[in-house]
Amino acid sequence: MNRAGAIVGRIAQIIPTFFLIGVVVFVLARLLPGDAVSAMLGDRATDEAVRRITHQLGLDRSMVAQFLTFIGQAAQGHFGQSLAFRVPVASLISERLPVTLLLTLMATLIAMCMALPLAFVAAMNANRWPDILIRAVFQVGLSSPVFYVGLVLLTVFAAGLRLFPVGGYGEGLPAHLYHLFLPALTLALSFSAVIMRTLRGSILAVLRAEFVDFARAKGLSARVILLRHVLRSAAITTVTLVGLHIGSLLGGAVITESVFAVPGVGRLMVDSIFSRDYPVIQALTLVLAVLVSLTFLATDLLHGWLDPRAGV
Amino acid sequence: MTPTILLNRRATLGGVAALLAFQFGPAPALAATRGGRMVFGRYADSLFLDPVLNDANVDIWVLTNLYDTLLLPTADGQGVQPGLATAYEIADAGRTVLLTLREGVKFSDGTPLTPDDVIFSLDRARDPKAGAWNSLLASIEKVENASGKIAIRLKSPDATIIPALATFNSAILPRRAFEATAGATMEDKAKAFSEKPIGTGPFVMVEWKRGSVMKLKRNPSHWKTAEDGQKLPYLEELEFQIIPDDATRLLKLKAGEIDGTELVPYARVKELQADPTLRMELWPSTRVAYLTMNVRPTLRGAANPLANVKVRQALNHAINKDAVIAVTTLGLGTPMRSFMSSTTPLFSASPLYPYDLAKAKGLLAEAGMAGGFDLTCLTLSGNQDNLNNLTLAQQMWAQIGVRLKIEQVDNATLTARYRAGDFQLRTAAWTNDISDPGQITSYFAYFPNIGSLHSGWQDARVDELYLASQKEIDPAKRAAQYKEIQDTYNAAAPIVYLYETPYPVAFRVKAKGFVQIPLGNNIFEAASIEK
Amino acid sequence: MRLPFPLIAGLGILVLLLLCALLPGAIAPYDPLAFDYTAMLAAPGRAHLFGTDQFGRDLLSRTIHATRIDLQIALFATIGPLLIGGAIGLLVGWFGGLADTLVGRLIDLVQTFPFLVLVIAIVAVLGPGLENMYVAVAIVGWVFYARLMRGEVLVQKHADYIAAARALGYSQPRLMLRHILPNAIRPVLIYLVTDMALAILLGSSLGYLGLGAQPPTPEWGVLIADGKNFFTTAPWMSLFPGLAIVLTGLGFSLTGDGLADLMDVRR
Repeated sequence: MNRAGAIVGRIAQIIPTFFLIGVVVFVLARLLPGDAVSAMLGDRATDEAVRRITHQLGLDRSMVAQFLTFIGQAAQGHFGQSLAFRVPVASLISERLPVTLLLTLMATLIAMCMALPLAFVAAMNANRWPDILIRAVFQVGLSSPVFYVGLVLLTVFAAGLRLFPVGGYGEGLPAHLYHLFLPALTLALSFSAVIMRTLRGSILAVLRAEFVDFARAKGLSARVILLRHVLRSAAITTVTLVGLHIGSLLGGAVITESVFAVPGVGRLMVDSIFSRDYPVIQALTLVLAVLVSLTFLATDLLHGWLDPRAGV
Repeated sequence: MTPTILLNRRATLGGVAALLAFQFGPAPALAATRGGRMVFGRYADSLFLDPVLNDANVDIWVLTNLYDTLLLPTADGQGVQPGLATAYEIADAGRTVLLTLREGVKFSDGTPLTPDDVIFSLDRARDPKAGAWNSLLASIEKVENASGKIAIRLKSPDATIIPALATFNSAILPRRAFEATAGATMEDKAKAFSEKPIGTGPFVMVEWKRGSVMKLKRNPSHWKTAEDGQKLPYLEELEFQIIPDDATRLLKLKAGEIDGTELVPYARVKELQADPTLRMELWPSTRVAYLTMNVRPTLRGAANPLANVKVRQALNHAINKDAVIAVTTLGLGTPMRSFMSSTTPLFSASPLYPYDLAKAKGLLAEAGMAGGFDLTCLTLSGNQDNLNNLTLAQQMWAQIGVRLKIEQVDNATLTARYRAGDFQLRTAAWTNDISDPGQITSYFAYFPNIGSLHSGWQDARVDELYLASQKEIDPAKRAAQYKEIQDTYNAAAPIVYLYETPYPVAFRVKAKGFVQIPLGNNIFEAASIEK
Repeated sequence: MRLPFPLIAGLGILVLLLLCALLPGAIAPYDPLAFDYTAMLAAPGRAHLFGTDQFGRDLLSRTIHATRIDLQIALFATIGPLLIGGAIGLLVGWFGGLADTLVGRLIDLVQTFPFLVLVIAIVAVLGPGLENMYVAVAIVGWVFYARLMRGEVLVQKHADYIAAARALGYSQPRLMLRHILPNAIRPVLIYLVTDMALAILLGSSLGYLGLGAQPPTPEWGVLIADGKNFFTTAPWMSLFPGLAIVLTGLGFSLTGDGLADLMDVRR
C-alpha cells in the first residue's frame, strides 16, 4: 500500500472513532449529577421556572431524541447554542481554540529548547554530578503544582521584575506571544522534564548501542557520532512524546489558563463541565478529538520520515 | 472565593457624596477628572445582559451601567431616589402608583424615552412566563399612560412596589429597537439585543469577548449630571477584564495593569490596606453567610436529628461566631443578629445564640441526643471561605459530640441537590436584590415560594404574616409584622447563623468614585481616573 | 556490589518518607488537627518549625501526617492503571489479531480526551474524594501503560531468545510471564516512577479545585491550595508541603532510574 493510501485509510478509520467519542461524551455529560438548568438558574429559581426553561431548551425530550439532534447537527458541522453563554458554540470555540493552540505550540518549543541540550549534557555525564544536578532541577519542575509555579512566576517575573504582563492575552500576535510566554513556560516546566528523562534514556541507549562502537572503530569522533544519531533519536523521542501528550497539552492546561487568565479551551471545557453546558462539552470534545487524531497522524508520518524502519 | 453563591443585585446614582465623603475622603464629584479609561478586574464574566431574563449576579452587578430604572436605590440601600421618573405618588388607596417621566432622556441610539417604552419594559418584566424575577412585580394589574404620567395599577396595595421599581429587572429598554431585533421569540430577541444593549445608562457596550473582556464606552446622551453641572459619566472608557484567579487579579492590581478589582479575599485585605499605592474599600452590604439546615424528619430513609428544634438551637449555641469571623474573615465580619442583614429595612436585632457550650449540651440532652450524632454538609468545591467555616464548625461541634462530614461538590450538583431537598446541611450566602425585607423573607421563611430555602421548615403564622406584610402600607404595622416573623424564625433556627461581611473592593489610588451599594451593584458612573 | 550515589540518595528519601507515613504520631510534634487560636498564621520558629495555618494548626505536623495519604495516592493512583494497562498491553501485544486492533482503537479513543478534564469529569460524576480519584485515574490512566507494554512486547516477541524458547517448546503462559514480561516491563517501570510523582500532583490539582482529599485530612496538594490566599502574608503555608512533593518526586525518580540502570547493566 502506498503512503497516500495509508493516510486515507487512517482517516477512514478515524471516523467511527469520532462517532464513538460522540456517544461517550454525550452519555458522560448526562451522567454528571445536577443539570444545566439548575446550574444556570442558581439557588433562587422556583421549580416552575426550572421546568419552563428545561422545556424551552428541549432538555425534557428523550435522551434518544436529544442524541439524534446532536449527531445530526454535528454531522453538518454545527453545534447549536451554548446554554450558559447563549451564543453559538462555534463562535465560542473559534475565539478560544487559537489561544490554546498557540499556547501549546509555545510550550512545546520552550520545553524542547530546555530539554534537548540538557539531556545531552546529562547523558554524556551519566551518573556524575552534572547529570544528577540536571535531573534534580527538572524533577523540581516536574513535581511542582502548576498553580503554585504559575503564581511564583507571576510574582517574580511579572509583578516583581515587570518583565512580563500579569496574565491576560493582549491584542495582536506580538502581544499574544508576550502574554503567553509565562503560561507556556509553566506548562513547559513539567513537559520538558518528561522529554528530558526520555531523551536522556534514548541517548544513553544510542551511546551503548553496538553501532556506535562500530562507528568509533571506523575512526569517527564521538561528537560526529552523537550529532548524527542522537539528534535523530531526539527528534523521534520528541515527536513521540508530543503525540502521546497532545491531548493533555491541548485540553489539560485548565489550571494554567485559570491562573494566567488566558481565555483558552481548557478553561472553557472545565467551566462547561461545571455549568453542565452540554452543547459546549460535546462540541469541544469532538473538536479536540479531531485535532488530537490529526496530530497522531502527523506524528506517525514524521516518525516514518525520521525512522524509515517504522511504517505508517 | 471563586464561583460563590453571592447572588444578586441592582442599581443607583451618584448622589452618594455624603457617604463617600464619610468613608473615603473628599467626594469624587468635586475634583473628578474627565476622560480616560478604567480597567476593572472581575472574577467571572457576565452571561446574559438582559434585565428580565438574566439569572445571576455576574449580570445584575453590571446592568446598572447600561440601563436605568424608573427609581433608583439610595446609596445606603434603605430607600429610593428619582431615576428615569422624577417623582412618584401613591393614589387610589395604595392601588395606583403615578410616576412622572423625566423630560429629555434619550437612549444610547439617540431615540427619546417615551411612556410606551416604560409600558413595554414593565409588561415584559412582569410576564409570569419570563425569567426568574417577575414575582417582584406580580402585584401589577396594568401599566398605562395616564395623560403624560405612567400609571401602575395594582391588583391590591403592595408595600414593595416602590423598591421593586428601583430593582434591576424593571429597567427600561427601548421598545422599537428591541422589537426590531432579529429573533423569532422574545427570548431570541432578548439574546440578540443583549449582544449590543441599548439603554439610558451611563455606558454603552462596544465589544464583548466572552470570558475574557468586555469594553464599555461613555454614553454621551446619558441624562445624569455631576455636582459641577457637567454630564456623567466621567470616564471615556470602562473595561472589564475577566481574571478568575484571586491571586492573579491582585497581582495585576499591584502591577498597575488594572485599576480596581472585586472580591478581594479577606486574607489579603490587611496587606492591601498597608499598600500606599492602593485603596482598600469595604462597602456595607446586605450579605449574610450561614448554613442551611434540612429540617425534614427523615433524609434518605434515615432519621434526621435536625428535625428537632432543640438540636438546631444547640448547634447554633455551639458555634463561636467571633472565632469564625476571626479566622474566615480575619475580623472583617460581624455576627448575624437576625436571618436578614442589619442593613435590610425593618431588620430587628436580637442577641442571636451566644456561644454557650453548656447550654448546647443541655439542649442536646433534652432532645435525647446527648450521645451525639453524624451530620453531613454540602459545600461548593474549592471555596476557601466555606471550607474555613466548615473546618471550624467541625471542630466546634465535636465539643458537643456532633461529627460533621464535609462533602464538596460543584455548583450544578449543589444546586440540584438543594432544589431536590437532598441535603442535610449546606453552606450558603445571600444578598438582597431589593431594598425591602420581603424578598429575603419569601425565600428564607415563606414556605410556598421555595420551601423556606428548601429546608422543609414551615410555620403557618409566618406564612400568613408574610402575605399580610406584602399588602401592608402602614410602616409601623409592617415593622411589627417583620419583628414577629424574625423572632419566630430565629427561635426556630432552620439555619446556622454565621456572619455579615462587607464587599471588599480594591483600587489604585488614582482610580476614584466607584460605588457598590448594599445590594451589590457596581456603579461606575461617577468613577474617574485621576492624573 | 557498590550502589551508585543517586540510588542511595533516592532510597534514603523513600525510607524517610516511609517512616513519616508509618509513624507520623511519633515524629510530628503536634496533633495535626488541633487548633490554636493564640498562634494563627505564626511564622516558622522554634515553637512551630514550619509555621502554622489560619487555624493555628502546626504545619510541620500536618506535612508529616500528610505523607501517608500522599504515598497512598502515589501507590493507589498508579497500581490500578499499571495492572490493568500492563495486562492488556501484554495480552494484545502477544496475541495480536482483532483484540489488538480493538484495544488500539480504544486507546486512541481514551487518549483523544484531555487527561485532566476527563478525570475532573469522572470525579464530578462519582463525587469528590480520593477513592473516586483512584477510580477515575484507573479508567483513564491504563492506556499509557497498555501502549508502552504493547509496544515493548511487540519488540521482544521477535527477539532471538523468544524464538529459541519457542523452539524449546515452552508454553504460551510461560513464554509470556517468564520471558516477555521481565524484559518488556522495564520502560513501564520507568514510566511508573514518573507517574507516581504525577499522581501526587494530580491530587494537588484536584485539591485546588476542591475535588481531591476532603478536609480535615491533611494532604500536600490541599495544603498548598489552602495556602494560596496567604501566598504573600504566610508563604510558608504552601512552601513546605510543596517541598515535600518535590522531595518525594526526587526520591521516586532517583530510585527508579537507579534501579533501571542496575537492571540494564545486568542485562
